Amino acid sequence: MHTVSRKIERLINLTIALLATQRYLTKSEIFRTVEGYEGSVETKERMFERDKDDLRTLGITIDVGSFDPLFHDEAGYRIRSEHYQLDLGEITPTEVALLSLAADAWQGAAFADATQSAILKLSSIGVPADPIDIPGLSPKLSNGSADLETVTEAIANSDFLIFDYLTSDLESLERTIIPFALSNRSGLWYVSGVDQEIQEVRTFRLDRVQGVIKHGKNKDPFEFPTAFELSEADTVASNRLAVIDVRKGKGKALRTLATSVKDLGEWDQIKVPIHTVGSLAAEILWHGEDVFVHEPADLRGYVIEQLEILVSNHE
Amino acid sequence: MSRSVSAPLQRTARLLDLVPFLNTHQGIALKELAKHFDVTPAQMSADLTTLWMCGLPGYTPLELMDLEFESGYVSIRNAPTLSKPRSITFQECVALLLGLDLITSSLPDDRQDLLTATDSLRQRLTRILGLPIKLSVVTKTSGAVATAIAQAIKSSGGLHIRYHSMYKDLITERTVVPVNLYESDNHHYMSAYCFTACDYREFRVDRIDQATPTKVSVDVVEKSRNTEKINFSIRIMGSSRDVTERFAIPHPTIGSSIELSSYSWQWIQRSVMASGESVLLSTPLEIRAEIAKKAQLMLNRYKEA
Repeated sequence: MHTVSRKIERLINLTIALLATQRYLTKSEIFRTVEGYEGSVETKERMFERDKDDLRTLGITIDVGSFDPLFHDEAGYRIRSEHYQLDLGEITPTEVALLSLAADAWQGAAFADATQSAILKLSSIGVPADPIDIPGLSPKLSNGSADLETVTEAIANSDFLIFDYLTSDLESLERTIIPFALSNRSGLWYVSGVDQEIQEVRTFRLDRVQGVIKHGKNKDPFEFPTAFELSEADTVASNRLAVIDVRKGKGKALRTLATSVKDLGEWDQIKVPIHTVGSLAAEILWHGEDVFVHEPADLRGYVIEQLEILVSNHE
Repeated sequence: MSRSVSAPLQRTARLLDLVPFLNTHQGIALKELAKHFDVTPAQMSADLTTLWMCGLPGYTPLELMDLEFESGYVSIRNAPTLSKPRSITFQECVALLLGLDLITSSLPDDRQDLLTATDSLRQRLTRILGLPIKLSVVTKTSGAVATAIAQAIKSSGGLHIRYHSMYKDLITERTVVPVNLYESDNHHYMSAYCFTACDYREFRVDRIDQATPTKVSVDVVEKSRNTEKINFSIRIMGSSRDVTERFAIPHPTIGSSIELSSYSWQWIQRSVMASGESVLLSTPLEIRAEIAKKAQLMLNRYKEA
């Protein structure tokens, strides 16, 4: 336990020394002045390498530069305060309250620890929160996936995510993507990324991933897709429209998909984009006799076929 | 802090974060400080003792941090280098941005002041993130509705709601007394005493499109719920992802029979219809017959047209 405390002390002292310095410190200066570097040169070197890695793991950026133009071969180290310190600019009491609400949204979910540590840092700024006068405002994020940490880490480094994904016919296919977007729609988590096999952006629902998501190192530079908008991931990429009659006051779920509505009296005729014939047919069958398909012929034929099977299965 | 970080490193991070926190909370009780950092008071004392040994090179009293905590109250002097809070990590930033996005979609439209403030925070956090990644949270629950429900629960008041029932596919207006708000299956539900049904009912919050406070004269007594679940049995005829998700069966095998239950007769009937060739309802026989009848009626219409 004692050596652990010594190591922690050394890491803190190293951080302070590298932050306080106005110029780069060489390794020999660090070994001479920072408390805790003991033993042979090799031992100190090994200690220092590990300490640097440890500080980086904590998210602390260490700048490596030349200490003196005359001694090109000796590297120097420092931590720039603009990299080390939190810079949110001027922050108001209302903003502090909003950030606390944002943190509380994770209560009991994947990033509860991360947001609590962020809140500690924010409260260290010393601006008290001004409670927001909307009673009962405490929306929560769903804890749909234990893999959010892996996903976020891969996003931060443009690394690969490798996982088995369930297709609509229940086949499990391995996918490899470089993720760059994370979203939650009505409680379900989605990750979007460049599918490495087809080099196109695809969006995946995390609860359809089979097993654990694996993380793979990517060493190549990654070009972030700029044209992609998350709102588009939701809209169906389809030019095909179905023409459907929906009884008045019914079929709210189908109506929200409609691109046009024509009043037919007792019924409305709506046009709905077709994502897959199967998924739209399921939606139509769900609504029973309140919905009637006109076209296209393949969708209509499929619905009729399903109805025939339903009759023979349940007679 | 990420679970992948080792215990000594977690402690290092905690010590680094302690200094700026103490700077703005001088004289805080040790117990309270321990609670803020989610450690025991004994661990907090150990942390402070370690911190006390740290400072600038030289390590004379001039350079060491000056900590006072023997009295049970903690104060710090001479720690200028670490006085500002550390920047937030990528993960913390992502978490806050997603949380803020959720807040934005939950705020009532008339709170432009708060919408502007969240927007400004999101811009600043995005700058810290430093990568052109996309994050978003969209919820269909209206902020005004959620607020009205929360207020009604708090004041034991009544609500007049407009509700879209998916199973019955009907939009109804009802007067309810909400008693509880909970999350299940990634959706928010409200339990409420419904004056139309004269019984307790569950409502999915995202299907309530209007909620206005209303006076109710009747005292709602906690009476036992008499809604019973309907048991039903299905046979898997074909496998599809839709069926596994609709009936929440992780690994269906074709030909197998599965016993399930639901509160709604309509839900069972509609779910089996929507599953088409993939599912056969074995029991209850009444619903089974209803499905055959319904499918036949629909089929007749297609044949006539």
